[in-house]
Amino acid sequence: MIATVFPLVGRRLLSSVAILLIVSMLLFVVLHVLPVDPAAMSLPPTATLADIEAMRREMGLDQPLPNQYMIWLAKVIQGDFGASIHFRRGVLGLVADTLPATVELAVLAMMIASALGIVGGLVLFHVRGSRKEPVVDFGSIMLLSIPEFLWSLFFILIFGVALHWLPFTGRLDPDLRVPAGTGFLLFDALMAGRLDIFFSAARHMILPSFALGIAFSPTIMRVLRSSLIDVYQEDYIHLARLRGLSERRILLGHALKNAILPTLSLMGVQFGFLFGGTLLVEVIYSYPGLGNLMVDAVRNADLPIIQAVGLAYCAVVLIINTVVDSLYMVLNPKLRLR
Amino acid sequence: MDMLIAKNLGVSAALPDGSVPVIQELNFSLPQGKVLGLVGESGAGKSMIGRTIAQLLPPGFSVTAGELMFDGQDLVRMPAETRRELLGREIAFIPQEPLSGLNPVLTIGRQIDEHLARLGIGNARARRDHALGMLNDVHLSHGADLLDKYPHQLSGGMCQRVLIAMAFASRPKLLVADEPTTALDVTIQARIVQLIAEMQERDGTSVVFITHDLRLAAQVCDNILVLYAGRPAEYGPARSVFAQPAHPYTRCLQLSNPAMSGPRRALYALPERMPGLSAIKGIEGCLFAPRCPKVVPECTRALPPFVDVADGQVAACIRPETTATIAAPALSASDAPQAGVPLLEVRGLTKTFRIGGGLFRNRAFTAVKDVSFTLHQNEFIGIVGESGSGKSTVARMLCGLERPTEGEFEIDGREVSDGSTSSRAHLRAHVQMVFQDPQSALNPRRRIASIVTQAMEAAGGTSGKERLERAEALLLEIGLPPDAARRFPTQLSGGQRQRVNIARALCVAPNILIADEIVSGLDVSVQAQLLNLLMQLRRKRGFSMLFISHDLSVVRYLCDRMLVMYRGEVVESGPTDRIFAAPSHPYTRTLLAAVPPDDPSAVWSPQPLETDVVAPADMLQEANV
Amino acid sequence: MMRILPPWLRSARVLGGLTIVVIISLCAVFAPLLAPHDPNEQDLIATFLPPVWAKGGQAAYLLGTDSLGRDVLSRLIYGARVAMMVAVLASFGAMMIGGTLAYIAGYFGGRIDSLIGRAVDVWMSFPPVIMSLILMVGLGVGLRNVILAIILVDWTRFCRVLRSEVLVVARKDYVAAARLVGFSHWRTVTREIVPATLPLLITLVSLEMGIAVIVEAILSFVGMSVSSNTPAWGQMIADARQYIYDSPWNLLFPILAIFFAVFGFNLLGDGLRRTLDVRLTATQRV
Ligand code: SF4
Repeated sequence: MIATVFPLVGRRLLSSVAILLIVSMLLFVVLHVLPVDPAAMSLPPTATLADIEAMRREMGLDQPLPNQYMIWLAKVIQGDFGASIHFRRGVLGLVADTLPATVELAVLAMMIASALGIVGGLVLFHVRGSRKEPVVDFGSIMLLSIPEFLWSLFFILIFGVALHWLPFTGRLDPDLRVPAGTGFLLFDALMAGRLDIFFSAARHMILPSFALGIAFSPTIMRVLRSSLIDVYQEDYIHLARLRGLSERRILLGHALKNAILPTLSLMGVQFGFLFGGTLLVEVIYSYPGLGNLMVDAVRNADLPIIQAVGLAYCAVVLIINTVVDSLYMVLNPKLRLR
Repeated sequence: MDMLIAKNLGVSAALPDGSVPVIQELNFSLPQGKVLGLVGESGAGKSMIGRTIAQLLPPGFSVTAGELMFDGQDLVRMPAETRRELLGREIAFIPQEPLSGLNPVLTIGRQIDEHLARLGIGNARARRDHALGMLNDVHLSHGADLLDKYPHQLSGGMCQRVLIAMAFASRPKLLVADEPTTALDVTIQARIVQLIAEMQERDGTSVVFITHDLRLAAQVCDNILVLYAGRPAEYGPARSVFAQPAHPYTRCLQLSNPAMSGPRRALYALPERMPGLSAIKGIEGCLFAPRCPKVVPECTRALPPFVDVADGQVAACIRPETTATIAAPALSASDAPQAGVPLLEVRGLTKTFRIGGGLFRNRAFTAVKDVSFTLHQNEFIGIVGESGSGKSTVARMLCGLERPTEGEFEIDGREVSDGSTSSRAHLRAHVQMVFQDPQSALNPRRRIASIVTQAMEAAGGTSGKERLERAEALLLEIGLPPDAARRFPTQLSGGQRQRVNIARALCVAPNILIADEIVSGLDVSVQAQLLNLLMQLRRKRGFSMLFISHDLSVVRYLCDRMLVMYRGEVVESGPTDRIFAAPSHPYTRTLLAAVPPDDPSAVWSPQPLETDVVAPADMLQEANV
Repeated sequence: MMRILPPWLRSARVLGGLTIVVIISLCAVFAPLLAPHDPNEQDLIATFLPPVWAKGGQAAYLLGTDSLGRDVLSRLIYGARVAMMVAVLASFGAMMIGGTLAYIAGYFGGRIDSLIGRAVDVWMSFPPVIMSLILMVGLGVGLRNVILAIILVDWTRFCRVLRSEVLVVARKDYVAAARLVGFSHWRTVTREIVPATLPLLITLVSLEMGIAVIVEAILSFVGMSVSSNTPAWGQMIADARQYIYDSPWNLLFPILAIFFAVFGFNLLGDGLRRTLDVRLTATQRV
């Protein structure tokens, strides 16, 4: 089985690289029609026009756009993403510092979204046709209408400001220091044996990850529900009943295995959106991840960062999609064996 | 001992305006080891009986009268848990659609294993051995490989064998087979029926065999129960019901089915169709009265009682003695008009599809190989073949929906296969197609008038009034009331929709009609109406037709000449009568032998066909093309 | 009375959704008449007033005032203008681009289809929020560019969903039949395929309007949308967040306004989907 999935995943990865390349090109074009002049931005206000001109040449800005892109690409392949104009630091280092925090938050949120989505989907399916259905369904539409940034603000109001239960700024209590390591705080804290840090980090992550997770769960719920309803129309479910299988066994052994397929392919898309959703959540919770880096860079028109962070988001989404697709292929014999 | 007994069984459906009987006054007894055939057209309630046995009725349906005794226990009143214990153990089912009857994401092995585990076969090794034995019993070779396969990797026939193996795994006392062969090709159909008979004899199982095919039922069943609108019309030993039908409905059913042997006779076409659930309540007295050729005023007084007409044969009719006098009209000489000049000449038509994506992109599959024939004016040619034979691809190429890879064809002396605008226009003026599935062929958002005159809309320059007039004239010609013009396709029955489908094709007065399986999926009485309509139109309009069908009897009735296609090639062609009398190609012989004979006492000896066992992947592919 | 209404108007969801949408639209159109105050009028002695029912509320400011003493209710009402404008223009723009490409891809298939499919893949690898932010950097701030950015980001939602539906319809025999009686491609698409996919299109537009409202709020939250003297819900949230301890109410009301609007569009969309019998397969329901 692994052997048959492997080439398909390989192809998927290959096309991801191609997509990444196209995305980098598009990013380059979009960011270079910008009205601001990065050369002027990177110099002190006292610089003369001649200084700016010299800077432009140095930055390669006097070349035609395709050439600029090739120069940039050549550097990127060597691992040089340039330096931030604003922070005066290597971009790669900045991204490497913030990416783990965002990934950690996103993964936690994905787990929450999947758990809520699947449980909610089963509940929605369970009440179908009953008098509770309209109520539950109405509720699910309401949930669907609350995006992650509203949840974030709402949670701050309730659990932070009103109830004082949970912290809502940063990644750790101010008196604690981030331990060195992978950048995945929960993991690093455990490795360092610092339970106090672990719990502090966990408490800081509860609100943002739930805000994200809840926001993305209703779609999963509703798709699982309708896929289950579709699957229950199928002959093999009817025939399983005629073979005397129990309803429980039919749901777990037959229906869910089929209904999870469309749900899974939706989750791939949703998780891509969710990863983008971290941006707002990070800004609201002052969580030091890619999102805050991005927003700072946007405010300062810090092109090298915007470019690199944009690519980082893209790369992670492509990885998520590849993982979900591979899982889909493992679970769907029709794709696997074609 | 009687395994299944129905005593005055009644099932009702709750509709918004009250409850309606779905099944009424059902009585039968099925002795151990015997086969009972439930026969009727769609809507007769035969599948509902199958569901009643399992008590898995659709929401709103419930048993309202009588009892259904299985092996001495009342299936209706027993607790659900007890009944579930019986299902799959003592009572087994075989479905209509084998491909969708198996779970697509589980291997065959897993599904058999699950069933065997429920039957209580202890460890996995034993279950596997048992499974291999079962597959062997249903003549599936390479059982060990098969266990690791998924349903979509098997052909329909193979899936049905797997399902039969599972059904007989517990040596059940009762088997319910709901149209087990309808979705399969003829040659495979015959083999599956034989297999069920073989297994049934082995285990001494009683079988309820649900089918729409009276001829098939007469072959395989001991007793037959003919249903009409949920009420038994006739019940008795299979042979005598078939040989001397006592109920007019049975007789009409028989006469509306084209014969496979003997002189060609006209078809008896019952008017209208079986009343639907909501219409049943409006009928006074005998439910068949609105369509019965022998109806007299007394018939509408009360539901006719069941009368004994012969040994063990009962009929719900007050005048069973008149039934034998129902006869189909004779075929007139003008029904076989002389063929004229050549209209369509096909030379070496070939179609190759590229299949698969990605790594296998360059695998080619030849759907049609080197097909040549000539269609004359006024001639009906039948193209016969099973699924994957390429017959539909031929049709699609000839009307321009598909470009031939090789070969050419000319219509009325003009070469048209080059796909240029002018040849498309020429093609359009001469050839029209009637599609198989009226559901998909009629835009549900257009009114009938707009559908049938679509060709005028395309040409432009006609007013709405002209179009409406033309539509009404066309509808009249194909036997629909003119007021149908204002309706939408969903407001018509299947047979009526197929008439609209034909009317649209006739709008441009083409001289060649290509009809792709246009009567498959219709009930026999509706099929007879349509076939007679085609004959009548041919007499009046004089066109040629390419009639594509898997049903040999229909082709025999309608067509002057026929082509037999097998895996993309024409293996035999010639006058229909000659081929039926003396088939020369082995495949044609297999095909003919697979159809149950008209005479139930004749020996039915379908021959095995090796494709049934091999099921090459490319044949499966073409089903999707 | 109920009988003469088309079925889609009889659904409670559609009616509910429509009511909400109409209320918000009325607020947007008649804002100057409805708003009790000028939305930018500052009352620096009455800042952070709670709503009228809370302790310290004043009848002159029904929903209280913000950090500059501006009337929250009036700002909410005026904020509906930005929200509705973005909702309508952005979703129609996205529908035009995405829909056109979907019909082309689904109907013609083949190479053009895979080309459009690739483009959608590229777009889908970008989280919408990130992409719109980057586009805003390229385009520059302002409401017009917000609308443009949403169109450029969200056309894929239409394209993806509609394409697979067009594919299904294009395989119907009645489309082949239309070609056989001599319909041109244009006429086949407009007369046979578009009507069949119209319910889906309408449903998608309704859902997209909700999304557009959210994206606009996000962009004004990060200060990339309207200029600071035009009231917008996202901006109100951004302001209020800085004074969250001074007046939580200020944060709550715009949150509710956004929720209310999005809920209205979603309810309408869901109701239309049900009553117009749109068969969305699972992957399309994003
Ligand atoms: S009872 Fe009358 S109407 Fe009914 S089948 Fe007999 S003859 Fe026909």
